[in-house]
Amino acid sequence: MTNRTVTVSIKRYNPETDKKPYWQDFQVELTAETTLLSALEDIKSDQDGSLTFRRSCRHAICGSCAMMVNRANMLVCDLPLEKVLDKNDRVTVEPLPYQPVIRDLVADQSSFWKQYERVKPWLVPPEGEHQREFRMTPEEVKALEHAEMCIMCGACYSSCPIIAGNKEYIGPHALLKAFMRVLDPRDTIPEERLDIVCNTEGAYRCHKVLNCTQACPKGLDPAKAIAVLANLGFRTGKISQERMERLRSLIPADEIPVKAAGD
Amino acid sequence: MTETITHDVIIVGAGLAGSWAAMVASREGVTNIGVLSKVYPLRSHSGAAQGGIAGALNNIRSVDGKLESVPVGESGDDSIESHMFDTIKGSDWLGDQDSIEVMVNDAPGIIYEYERMGCVFSRLEDGRIAQRRFGGHSSPRANYAADWTGHVLLHTIHEQALRHGVRFYSEWQMMELIIEDGVCRGVVAMDILTGELHVMRAKAVMFATGGYGRVYQITSNATANTGDGVAIAYNAGVPLLDMEFVQFHPTGIYKHGILMSEACRGEGGYLLNANGERFMENYAPDKMELAPRDLVSRSEQTEINEGRGIGDDKQGIYLDLRHLGAERIMERLPQVREIAMSFLGVDIIDEPAPIQPTAHYSMGGIPTDVNGQVVIDADNTPLHGFFAAGECAAVSVHGANRLGTNSLLEASVFGRRAGYAIAEFIKGGAKLHPYSGDGVSRQRERLDNFMSKSRQNGNGRGQPEQVAAIAAELKQNMTDNCGIYRTEEKLLIAREKVRELRERFKRVVVMDSSQRFNTELLTAVETEHLLTFSEVIIEGALNRTESRGAHFRTDYPKRNDEQWMKHTLAQNTPEGVALSYKPVHIFWDRYPPQERKY
Repeated sequence: MTNRTVTVSIKRYNPETDKKPYWQDFQVELTAETTLLSALEDIKSDQDGSLTFRRSCRHAICGSCAMMVNRANMLVCDLPLEKVLDKNDRVTVEPLPYQPVIRDLVADQSSFWKQYERVKPWLVPPEGEHQREFRMTPEEVKALEHAEMCIMCGACYSSCPIIAGNKEYIGPHALLKAFMRVLDPRDTIPEERLDIVCNTEGAYRCHKVLNCTQACPKGLDPAKAIAVLANLGFRTGKISQERMERLRSLIPADEIPVKAAGD
Repeated sequence: MTETITHDVIIVGAGLAGSWAAMVASREGVTNIGVLSKVYPLRSHSGAAQGGIAGALNNIRSVDGKLESVPVGESGDDSIESHMFDTIKGSDWLGDQDSIEVMVNDAPGIIYEYERMGCVFSRLEDGRIAQRRFGGHSSPRANYAADWTGHVLLHTIHEQALRHGVRFYSEWQMMELIIEDGVCRGVVAMDILTGELHVMRAKAVMFATGGYGRVYQITSNATANTGDGVAIAYNAGVPLLDMEFVQFHPTGIYKHGILMSEACRGEGGYLLNANGERFMENYAPDKMELAPRDLVSRSEQTEINEGRGIGDDKQGIYLDLRHLGAERIMERLPQVREIAMSFLGVDIIDEPAPIQPTAHYSMGGIPTDVNGQVVIDADNTPLHGFFAAGECAAVSVHGANRLGTNSLLEASVFGRRAGYAIAEFIKGGAKLHPYSGDGVSRQRERLDNFMSKSRQNGNGRGQPEQVAAIAAELKQNMTDNCGIYRTEEKLLIAREKVRELRERFKRVVVMDSSQRFNTELLTAVETEHLLTFSEVIIEGALNRTESRGAHFRTDYPKRNDEQWMKHTLAQNTPEGVALSYKPVHIFWDRYPPQERKY
């Protein structure tokens, strides 16, 4: 079924020269090895050098190449082209939505990164030097892994209907990071973190549409993380010393009802 | 508008080495640090490392071939000395042993520092950091986070750099290193978004720009790994060390080159040829699949060359993980499983995965001491104000062949040490040296030439050339003629081809005329860098008439310590590459050269 010519339809836009975005079709040869990214690379090298997109690692770990493919956000580097062709052998590619377009498939992710920094994504460890590691159980690690595997590609952010209209919203990517830090027994500022995220620009703004969870190319569940944060802020206000036990009872997070708290 | 930007310190590259240095220098009180990265910092290629970071923590030991956790209070069988010897042997006695000693001594401490900063390592039942086996290491000392270790390390250190107030210039491309009168004064860089060029002056500059694997056709490297820092330093008169040593990883995805972690073999995976044989028993009967990468890749290539490869073009080998079982694969190798499903349509739980050797790691680079200070000759003369660490640097701890898990360690250890050294340098009264040169106009001209209309019309000097075509021919040339197996004959062909491509490159045109986020223009710049250091790799390989580590000459198949136990130094001169040599630091009483067998 491979080895045929197919159509990649790309939304083009250069704000320096174009009044508005327009669609352009390119024909590419499909082989068994063609990914959507390799098709874009081929178009750029053989047909139109000005086609602009981001990419780097080629195996879904760097997070550079999230785009909107057939109206859904995904990474294009590990995406076999054949998988996303419609019955007319055609696929549409657009930049991640809800953000200004820098050029073609490159979105301006400034607000995305600003919100990431806003939640203080770094762990704040206790003072002092340590001779050995802090002991954590495999189960604790498993709970954190759900958030740690986030590659900050922005697929969730650009699928969130709140982000579409409100760039003050912290967004699923940053809330997932905050969730991970609040859950981490090594962190020293969980209360401050909840103050940052448990408000109407944060966890309480979430409408639980779950687009973020659906969009995540890593199979993570930001919606559930946001619900857990909302719960924590709503029920306890300030969390205290028993925080560890209470948080552990939240692991695995599978049992957390998604529509528990919030607005 | 072109403007001059001034910092105390400019670091180019935001992977592990650059972020460590920035974080540490900032923590030590240097407040005015700028970090440039051609991609967003979290996109850096350190994040693609999978299997682990080496360090003799002694959490796990091997008993009768089975791994068990070391009971608290009992001693394991690993040691700093063992890590050191394995690294020396892995390097085929080309690693500097004083540098290796520093790295292995720093290893446990930096892993604990990562852990305390929030890094989510996989754990043993009792809560200690989990460890696994890795090739060439005689104990299970690969400390890991599933098979995304680099990802968690990179995110952790980037977050800590933000915490300490480091300023990042994301999507800025460095164009030129400014050195005048033996003093480093800054860089010229382009803001990719606007296409504008800026002089960035600093008291200290550090390169942490990564490796140069993109010069090969099949590679595990990210598209960003075009060796920019290596080429730019070389153009600025800094010599390069041991550039002919390029590591081929044994398990790249067939036809794609994307990495399938060595953890696959660390966890017990087999390599099979077309006859279903575990052929490694013919090459490394003791270590089998866990022999070092140079040896395993050569063994695979021999099987392929002798007709026992798999796949439609017989250029592949099978990596068989089925016997590990679904549970272990899902827990320890989840990312690898995803990769094989996406690119091969193979579930490694049920089927063996077609793989092939893939260009993976650059042992060579900018010579430095153990504190990241760049040194420019065999006497280790420092270049004032210029530092480097990570894959773009050559300390040299990896020598002729790097062991798996030693790269995350090296980037971290020497990045951190560079951070301390830079802080000391700044606090010791380093000056901002004047610069009134024309770096910006020189680089502007370089870029404008690519886009010039007269060149597009042929300019009376022959047909215009396309960047993509030249890059493709170069990569094919390096793979065919300067790859796993080398001969004088092939290397001479490689040299001729690079010369031809360099000539043709003078007629390259970039059709994209926009200033804004012009990635075609960037590709031209990157390709020029590839061409620059290709020549250095080839000259070093031609001259080195022996086989050592990753450099294998079928016409000189033996290691020759008498003549060649020395580092190659390559200097840019008007006449071309000038080679000289530098002794290897050997502790003769402790680790004298031995035959390297596995």
